[in-house]
Amino acid sequence: METRPRFTRRSFLRQSVLLGAGSALLAACQQQSPPPAPKAEVKPTEAAKPAAAPAQPTAAPAAAAKPSDAAPPAAQSAPAGQVRGGAITIAQELDPVSLDPHKTSNFSAVQGFEHVYESLTQYDEKLNLQPALAERWEVSPDGTQYTFFLRKDVKWHDGNEFTAADVKYWHERMMAQETVAPYKNWFDMIERIEVVDKNTAKAVLGKPYPPLLATFAALRGGAITQEGAAEKGNLATTAIGTGPWKLVEYVPQSHLRYVKNADYWNRELPRLDEFTMKIVTEEDARVAALRAGQVDYAFLSQEGADRVKADRNITILESPKAWLTVAQINTSRKPFDDIRVRQALRMALDPNEIIQKAVSGAATPSGPVPTGHTDWFLKPDELKYQKPDLDKARALLAEAGQSNLKFTILSSPQYPEFVSTALVMQDSFKKIGVDAEVQQLEWGTFVKQVNAPAFDYDVNITARTFYPDPDHYLYPYFNSAAVNNPNKSYNNPKVDELLDRGRTVGDSAQRHQIYAEVQKLLEDELPHFWFYSGLNIEAVRNHVVGYVPSFTGRRIFLKQTGVQR
Amino acid sequence: MTRYIVARLLWCVPVLLGASVLIFVLLRFLPGDIVDIILGTEGSATPEVRATIRRLFGLDQPIYVQYFVWLGAVLRGDLGSSLRTSEPVLGILLSRLPITIELALLSVGISVLMAVPLGVLAAVKRGGPIELLARLVGLIGLSLPNFWLATMMILVASLGFGWLPSLIYVNPLTDPIENLKQMLMPAFSLALALMAIVLRMTRSAMLEVLGQDYVKTARAKGLGERLVLMRHALKNAMIPVVTVIGVQMGTLFGGTVVIEQIFGLPGMGWTFINGIYQRDYPTVQGAVLMLALTFVLVNLVVDLMYAYLDPRIRYG
Repeated sequence: METRPRFTRRSFLRQSVLLGAGSALLAACQQQSPPPAPKAEVKPTEAAKPAAAPAQPTAAPAAAAKPSDAAPPAAQSAPAGQVRGGAITIAQELDPVSLDPHKTSNFSAVQGFEHVYESLTQYDEKLNLQPALAERWEVSPDGTQYTFFLRKDVKWHDGNEFTAADVKYWHERMMAQETVAPYKNWFDMIERIEVVDKNTAKAVLGKPYPPLLATFAALRGGAITQEGAAEKGNLATTAIGTGPWKLVEYVPQSHLRYVKNADYWNRELPRLDEFTMKIVTEEDARVAALRAGQVDYAFLSQEGADRVKADRNITILESPKAWLTVAQINTSRKPFDDIRVRQALRMALDPNEIIQKAVSGAATPSGPVPTGHTDWFLKPDELKYQKPDLDKARALLAEAGQSNLKFTILSSPQYPEFVSTALVMQDSFKKIGVDAEVQQLEWGTFVKQVNAPAFDYDVNITARTFYPDPDHYLYPYFNSAAVNNPNKSYNNPKVDELLDRGRTVGDSAQRHQIYAEVQKLLEDELPHFWFYSGLNIEAVRNHVVGYVPSFTGRRIFLKQTGVQR
Repeated sequence: MTRYIVARLLWCVPVLLGASVLIFVLLRFLPGDIVDIILGTEGSATPEVRATIRRLFGLDQPIYVQYFVWLGAVLRGDLGSSLRTSEPVLGILLSRLPITIELALLSVGISVLMAVPLGVLAAVKRGGPIELLARLVGLIGLSLPNFWLATMMILVASLGFGWLPSLIYVNPLTDPIENLKQMLMPAFSLALALMAIVLRMTRSAMLEVLGQDYVKTARAKGLGERLVLMRHALKNAMIPVVTVIGVQMGTLFGGTVVIEQIFGLPGMGWTFINGIYQRDYPTVQGAVLMLALTFVLVNLVVDLMYAYLDPRIRYG
């Protein structure tokens, strides 16, 4: 006997409609998009300030900030100081994984929180140190006590007053083990912060540490958070700082919206009323959005810039950036412990070829401290091995008894330029009879394999971003006891001595001498191969005025950016 | 019917358990963990410090202990907290899932609306330009990768027409038109491959059904061609088509991982892949559970549709 089907067409249709309505409702529970931004207003009374000033006058000639030839000079000449109000949208190329200023080593996080938080010091356009939350400071003669006199007119975004207790809290949080602060070692020479009075904080160091003031300005771990901030809220997703911008909305994978902090201690800043940072990870999408006028700013590669430079509404700003591409050589493995092998390999390489093929020419050759880093770096004529010498390379290899040298170069496709660099190296090594295999690893795997304690690599390609002091580029890698020195294998007593002196000598001229000497020694002994330091390539629509690139790669000067339609 | 549905839902339990064990183990086979990712290549933490941090995250426990601790919490409705942001995973996922579901539904809608009529016409009017068109769509749809298509659509829309929908995702209830504009390109780039598969399946199933005796009978009875096609042939031909759509939901969810990133949609696919890159175990485990559950439910709906399409199929 046949029973009537209990599942009828009508019930199916009814259920489908319910299902559809349900998912629409679910979708409706999403974050709302922000309201349209207010229009720009122009106030003609302020002092004029040229936009897009050269970011690094000391850098190599190719590396000065310059608008591309094809673009009109509007973004350059407009008087930014006269412009107030308005809103812009900038494309953010990486999805910030967290906004916690102390718990992350990702640059994407810095890009998200740098507008909200400040530190005791800050950088100007030329990387000179300037007062920020501390309006002045005194250093004891032995260099172990820093007394910071804090600004009295600073308020947190929630209205609370900024005091020395906040500085003390910041240090305690950075040092606490459960914070897992990647840049803890940048500040662990500070034994304690003493609250002298409400507006005076004293940092007591175990030993002198000359880079300290710059280390604050770098804002990696140095961002000051309000007392009790981590206990009151989730710093990974919210941010209450003292900076020029208040974070009002954060939708991970979508956007961050900032509005002007009307109580900012620098009354001139910021000029815009608000800006939105839209996460656009694909460069093609950034190019498209830029050309369609949906974003006013985007960070691009050289190829991306080539595709927008014909657009007369867009100006390309190129300036040197701290992005130092490095091949790390595992000196604890044979035959890389033999200086002749390292030198032979290095002689087979042409840094200019690597620059052309890895980043389409958008970089300058560099030594151990990235070219353009104020006056700490080796000048172009001081760099060694800038032209390949294949005969000498072969002779050195023969001398070292390496006839059939084979090894692996590790890189990660997360950074295509590292893979390209590895491929150029592989090609060049062939010419001296060396067989290098290029292996690509997913980033997490790469990190695990390359870092202590594994050090499981022959050669790997990575990059160093902006560190405030030459010490940060050298000590953690080349001091014989350093954590990142593979199994403590690179050991040069002279280098050790110089690096230690660099940490104790307060005199700037002496420190410059010390670090020039260390860099020259390292260029001889090649525990790493340093290739190039990259460029900031930033595209802005012409109505954006006053934006200045920073060698740090950060967007520090969005606070002095305006719009002029 | 209700009993059948309840039985099928009960079957979800072992399926989800299996999926959870698999992802739990596979994730931990991946070299590197959240500690390596947080410290990156720039930190100078000693191995001892790293070990301490692992203890803080509970990653020093044997894997089976970690699994049962996690499973116990899941059974109490707690998917854990993101290792990266400390936000509850359930909240994160529930805010992302609707966008992915909307994307998936639109993609299925677009492919069915375009592929089924074209497939039927291609089966009926063989040898003509329509069949050629159907072959072309089938070939292109299967051979163009969706990320390439997505990128091309963005570039053509913006550079060719100076048009792009608003960048920031708009809720369909706030502004349905703008939401549709935003979802059109991502949905189409996901839909094309499915469209090709559905089209081919519709065409071949129709060809097979049209050769059956009951179709001849229907025609012999003097029924109009339209009625024969729509009422008798198409409905039967839909069974394999619906099956294919159900199975393809997995591929569709896989596609959202890439497409959501390209179009900047804060959906589940992107959260999932970010979770893997960040070694954010609880987020990935939660996402897999949710996707597995969705997949199982979609296929339950597919099975229930058989009863509608073919009255001989009964669940009871």
